[in-house]
Amino acid sequence: MKINIENLGFSFNCELCKNYHLKIAKQDTQENTLLVGFPSNGLVGTFSVSYLIHHLKMKQVGEIEIPDLPSTLFVEGGEILVPIRVYNKNNIFVIISDVPFNQYLAENFAVAVHKFCKKFAIKKIVIVSGMETASKEKKPPKIYGLVTHSILENILYENQIPKFLDGSIFGTDAAIISVFRKTKIPALVLYAECHPFFPDPEASTVAIITLAKILDVNVDTSDIQNKMDKLRIQHRNLMEETIRTLQQQQEKQARAPQIYR
Amino acid sequence: MIKDTDFEFKIIPPIINSLFDDIEHRILSPLSCLREFDSHWMLEFDLPLVSKKDVKVTFDGNTVNVEAKLKEKYSEEKLGKITKFEYFKKSILLPGKIDNKKIIAKFQKGRLEIKIPKKMLGHSIKIN
Repeated sequence: MKINIENLGFSFNCELCKNYHLKIAKQDTQENTLLVGFPSNGLVGTFSVSYLIHHLKMKQVGEIEIPDLPSTLFVEGGEILVPIRVYNKNNIFVIISDVPFNQYLAENFAVAVHKFCKKFAIKKIVIVSGMETASKEKKPPKIYGLVTHSILENILYENQIPKFLDGSIFGTDAAIISVFRKTKIPALVLYAECHPFFPDPEASTVAIITLAKILDVNVDTSDIQNKMDKLRIQHRNLMEETIRTLQQQQEKQARAPQIYR
Repeated sequence: MIKDTDFEFKIIPPIINSLFDDIEHRILSPLSCLREFDSHWMLEFDLPLVSKKDVKVTFDGNTVNVEAKLKEKYSEEKLGKITKFEYFKKSILLPGKIDNKKIIAKFQKGRLEIKIPKKMLGHSIKIN
């Protein structure tokens, strides 16, 4: 079933749309949480969210179309996949994109995510992304959290996630934060230290462990740990395309003069 | 070789591949990045499935060549055909003069880092 929502600039094509009131009514004891992943630094969001979908055996329940996204379809075993898909299990929803967004598409994507949240009574969203680490030490990557509303600071405190204190954010993360900080739906962004230009399954593993704690689910990370090297080879082209898109965005951002930094 | 029991992410690969693997010679093109600092270039290669002893780095003028043998064959299916890759290989042309006597290379967690000092040319100017 495809529902076109007029004047919103995008459409949901979602099985749950038919009876979402019923679904939400059943879940009144648990708050709906939305997890969002898309290609960014180190492909941390893509790897960690894909792994949770796989490990929690989440079911694809819909897809999201945003205007001006080049038509891309992928066929796997005869099944047609679109780049932005929606998954669900119990009170956890996931929106995952397999394509990186330029500035314009990032804003459209952020608006689509917000409209989705309103439609499915999402109480909080969690975004997973990567941040460049200056450290070259062998220590495990650290994870930092940034919240749009103080109500989510408790999650950082309970899970011992240090706050992201200083730095600039651009790209899809920034677009989503900009949209959600003006709404009533709070967003938490998890930033895992990673290599920004190479796929980083090690940083993704740290993100998965943190996500599992926040979502209160059990996730065994041995599958991703066993396959780290192969994932790095397999997703080289996606990493390359992501970097190209991010660099185009960064070049377009107005840079603050050095004196103000 | 990917076994049937291995999990697979459902991630759509990009339509356009910018890294060109040499299927005939079973050579993968690794990801690399070059960053410029005041006194040096930092050139990095992502070489998963590789041991330090199997990495070979050579310089030819301003070109850095990296070759590495994989610990195990990496299988990938392209257009219904399975190719088993055995090597990584890539050459990078550096944009400036380099001091090739002071180059330092480090290999850690499947990542090769090459620190290449710039050759400082020119003469000093007296300030009155």
